[in-house]
Amino acid sequence: MVSEQPVLVLRDVSIAYDSPAGPVQAVSHVNLELMPNTIVGLIGESGSGKSTLATGIMRLLRGGAHLTHGEILIKGQNVYDMDAKTLRKFRWEAMSMVFQSAMTVLNPVMTVEQQMVDVFLAHRPGMSKAEALQKSYALLDLVRIARKHGKSYPHELSGGMKQRIVIAIALALDPALVIMDEPTTALDVVVQRSILEQIQDLQQERHFAVLFISHDFSLVAELASRVAIMYAGRFVEVTESGGLTVSDQDHHPYTQGLMRAIPRLTHEDVVIEGIPGHPPDLVTLPTGCAYHPRCPYAVPLCTVERPEPRDWQGRLIACHRFDPQKAGEFSHVS
Amino acid sequence: MSLEPLAAAPLVTVEHLVVRFPLRGGRQFIRPVDDVSFTIGSGEVLALVGESGSGKTTIGRTLLRILEPSFGRISVAGTDVSHIKGRELTAYRRQAQMIFQDPFASLNPVKTVENHLVFPIRKHQGGNKESVDQLIDDLLERVGLTPVNETRKKFPHELSGGQRQRLAIARALAVQPQFLVADEPISMLDVSIRAGILQLLGQLKRDFHLSFLYVTHDLASARYFGDRIMVLYAGKIMESAPSRDLIRNPLHPYTKLLLAATPGSSTRHRLPEKDNQPPDLSEARVGCPFAPRCLSATTECTNSMPPMTVVAPERSVACYHPDALISVKPLP
Repeated sequence: MVSEQPVLVLRDVSIAYDSPAGPVQAVSHVNLELMPNTIVGLIGESGSGKSTLATGIMRLLRGGAHLTHGEILIKGQNVYDMDAKTLRKFRWEAMSMVFQSAMTVLNPVMTVEQQMVDVFLAHRPGMSKAEALQKSYALLDLVRIARKHGKSYPHELSGGMKQRIVIAIALALDPALVIMDEPTTALDVVVQRSILEQIQDLQQERHFAVLFISHDFSLVAELASRVAIMYAGRFVEVTESGGLTVSDQDHHPYTQGLMRAIPRLTHEDVVIEGIPGHPPDLVTLPTGCAYHPRCPYAVPLCTVERPEPRDWQGRLIACHRFDPQKAGEFSHVS
Repeated sequence: MSLEPLAAAPLVTVEHLVVRFPLRGGRQFIRPVDDVSFTIGSGEVLALVGESGSGKTTIGRTLLRILEPSFGRISVAGTDVSHIKGRELTAYRRQAQMIFQDPFASLNPVKTVENHLVFPIRKHQGGNKESVDQLIDDLLERVGLTPVNETRKKFPHELSGGQRQRLAIARALAVQPQFLVADEPISMLDVSIRAGILQLLGQLKRDFHLSFLYVTHDLASARYFGDRIMVLYAGKIMESAPSRDLIRNPLHPYTKLLLAATPGSSTRHRLPEKDNQPPDLSEARVGCPFAPRCLSATTECTNSMPPMTVVAPERSVACYHPDALISVKPLP
């Protein structure tokens, strides 16, 4: 079951949108490997390119967006080299996606079980309807929803139940990779937590890999083992989630800023402070490091030259001011 | 966060507030707000925390008299505003203003920043052109929309999300109110922007001695901005306490559940609940609305609603078993 081949490889991936003013780079030269049976988090603010990257992996780019550079491999196969038929089979069976708006993903005029049965009949041509129905009920059991709700229409269910059903459908064909794009953002905090617990349980049971996209720092830090932090289309840092605490200063200045910007329950005496300015417009990106106008550590070099990610104890940090030799003293350079 | 001494008379007093909405057919009613009483001191921030459907937004809107109470009484600065109309209501809006959740929807796209502020100032205060101009400059500076001369001419689409929310705050301040209802003012904003808006609200509170009802679903930001937190479930208050006490030592099982579910909490075990059905809001319900989900519920709980009981100075809880079974690891 567990092989050493990564489930997902992003190799120097760039995605751009066509616009009247020329191509707008939404994702730039992103690298990532996702091993089987792991959860990796992707954090970014609106406009950082995180959802574009997710739809890019699924080869679902629309609205003038296209892959301009690099390769996306899932289980060793290049997603962008497949013909339409292979791709169609590949989606759902090898990779599936859970969107933020479970409420709009489900078809309002079909019952839950009809929608589940549909997936099996479309992807398993030989399967009988009775068998598909059996499998659908097994999926409902899996996400702990009473079988009687199979006969329900989406509007009869709560938001949390709908999202559970969407997750169940995403898992229907046992994909190796599930991309979850803000799957709990629209839900109440208690429902959110119980769905996250369920995702963890299911993941341990079925060993799929998850790319979990969110803007919520504390949530991703709890769920994922490794986290990529995205700013203006680039990964500014890729790090183990264990190190994401306010006291650990050996991070990209943006990561540090994000950690200080969140009111937390347990850090009573930590004064929160926002990051000055606002996320950049992708059309008029700042030169050099895109974060430099908001960065307290910026020096003239940062305005002209873009920093490449450098490795420090398993963290990849793209910052001129981060000196791996002097890690631990980062807060003092300014 | 230090608690300011409460003034002798609170600015806002709410007594036995009920808001009922008819269901289709008009014979049956639900009660999104059911017998809620509380006060907000002058210069105090009361954070109202609850999930969607708990009635928190309805309370905020009723306090500003966008909605009218079905029963009960709301008084602000000694005046009963429960059922005022017309000119009295206009006068009340000079005292009480609202900051909405969505700064993309709450601003008029075809009006400039300046236009957004001129109207409330003219309507509520009047004054000659110079004094209005001066006031606009002051307001924009206060909320950090500088350089003022440049910002005045901009349209909402030229502002970022955080800047729009700052404009919405300036507009609320334009009539020099004493009391603000802020309904999820940061939840639509980017993470890096939120802290700045909360800090601004805190600054304004101190500078103008403003009172706030801070409506939110997020306990962490409630602890940060609120002097006191009131936890609402299905239209009823479950618990009310100074922010720090509520987070450190929650008494009501629902508060414990909320805390355990909040990302970044120090609890790592399973959620303390036995069911997750949405609550019954119908007028005919009996007992504690949280009982079906509560691990310590007894028949007493399903038979009658526990009364709000004062358990310590400024701490009250509506629960028959506030210290029962489920213990959640105390926070450090």
